Amino acid sequence: MNGPHMNVSLAKPLAVNGLGKSYGAVDVIADLNMRVDPGEFICIVGPSGVGKTTLLRCLSGLAPPSRGNVTVGGAVVKEPLSEIGLVFQDYRGSLMPWMRTLENVAFPLQGRGVRKEERNRIALSCLADVGLEQAAGKYPWELSGGMQQRVAIARALAYDAHILLMDEPFGSLDAQTRLGLEDLVLDLRKRLKISVIVVTHDIDEAVYLADRVVVLAGKPATVVDVVDIDLGFDRDQIRTKSDPRFVEYRNRVLGRIMR
Amino acid sequence: MAQRTTTRKRLLGLVERWWLPVALVAAWWVASAQSTSYYFPPLRTILAVLWRDLTAGPLLYDMVVSLGNMAMGLAFAIVLGVGFGLLIGEYKAVRQATTPTLNFLRAIPPAAIVPIVIIAMGIGSAPKVFIIALTCFWPVLLNTIDGVRGISPPLVDTARAFRIPRALYFRRVLLMAALPQIMAGARIAVAVALVLMVISEFFGASVGLGFYINEAKQRFAMVETWAGTLLVGILGYLLSALFLRVEQWLLSWYFQEASASRGNAG
Repeated sequence: MNGPHMNVSLAKPLAVNGLGKSYGAVDVIADLNMRVDPGEFICIVGPSGVGKTTLLRCLSGLAPPSRGNVTVGGAVVKEPLSEIGLVFQDYRGSLMPWMRTLENVAFPLQGRGVRKEERNRIALSCLADVGLEQAAGKYPWELSGGMQQRVAIARALAYDAHILLMDEPFGSLDAQTRLGLEDLVLDLRKRLKISVIVVTHDIDEAVYLADRVVVLAGKPATVVDVVDIDLGFDRDQIRTKSDPRFVEYRNRVLGRIMR
Repeated sequence: MAQRTTTRKRLLGLVERWWLPVALVAAWWVASAQSTSYYFPPLRTILAVLWRDLTAGPLLYDMVVSLGNMAMGLAFAIVLGVGFGLLIGEYKAVRQATTPTLNFLRAIPPAAIVPIVIIAMGIGSAPKVFIIALTCFWPVLLNTIDGVRGISPPLVDTARAFRIPRALYFRRVLLMAALPQIMAGARIAVAVALVLMVISEFFGASVGLGFYINEAKQRFAMVETWAGTLLVGILGYLLSALFLRVEQWLLSWYFQEASASRGNAG
């Protein structure tokens, strides 16, 4: 769909089949279907409170769906998978405050039984991927918000995830840091051939990042539109965002959400 | 210049912290110097006897035995309290099964079981260690449970999302998250242990600081009684100072994070 990179991606396809999630009598998500192909960048966008985080918990295997299922490479997701690396909205809260950056990134590998030198080597190279080698010996509270978020991304990469799942990843960062991290994730996708799923309420961000934008709306939430974003593989904060097609896509998504 | 300022600051800090205790000891020294009261001997006499019994008398050995009992008791209390606390805090089923029993056992005052324990376990070190361990177990256990239950949900999710195995989760996530609370419990345990170390040696003992004090009292040796009591006070102070050091070392990340976030907020 988006060029030759697809063929070499290691990622497995992720599919959501008739997914529904209820808490008690409250239906949060109803009959949701979508598909993420290997190497694809998908943004799930919807208004605050629509159930985006709930959907992400179901996708990652942290919460069981009430109806339907999520599959990765055809297998039903019943618990968190090693194929999926999760980056939380509360990135600061998701880093262990008693671990230095390197330990935080290497910790999931320890759980897998990787030897110490080996996991530190991997962690260092993933920190280099996000431009943070020099922060390896620092504690989370010594880092800025943007750096903490990059550590969280490095941890997901070190875990050898082929599908990066991100919940409002840049929501609480200042504008400049945010743009930098958007480009970092685009670049990671390009270099590492991973699939990326970003959940966001920011329409500009969604259109700028995604190959496809999935629009959620309604109560219970369901997919109201899927917009293919044909803005090419190389994006640029200034050039892409001033492209007339960008504005067109944005208005279409906005119209879907406002309705 | 800067060197001199910091030295001066440090000196000033020492004065600020120490003037009151020094003044109190001086006041005691002066006020008791001429005392002929049987019950309130001069501080100088008490210190002389304390020194004599520590260097030439039984007191040093008494102290070693008592501190040994206390260390053993505390070690049992902390290991068991943290171990059970982690399990009870983490698993709801364990919590539900144990809560009523724990509430009952915890309500028994430790001093009340001293006689039974001595009858059952004799007069050696075992009953003392047991009493200290049992009593100190509760603050450690309850604080550990609180600490475990207070773990921030994103950390739990993170551990699950990255498939951290149970044993590793307990060791590097749960234990560490609960550590500040555990240390708060351990601090109480240390204070309680000191009290019980002395009390447990009042009855059915032939050695130890409590024995020394009680035995001196029974033969109306007031100066020795004072000397033993003073020594317990000094030990208590030193222990809490030592504890503070250990806590600072174990929780450096915690204190630094707290002060950093205060700085950011301000």
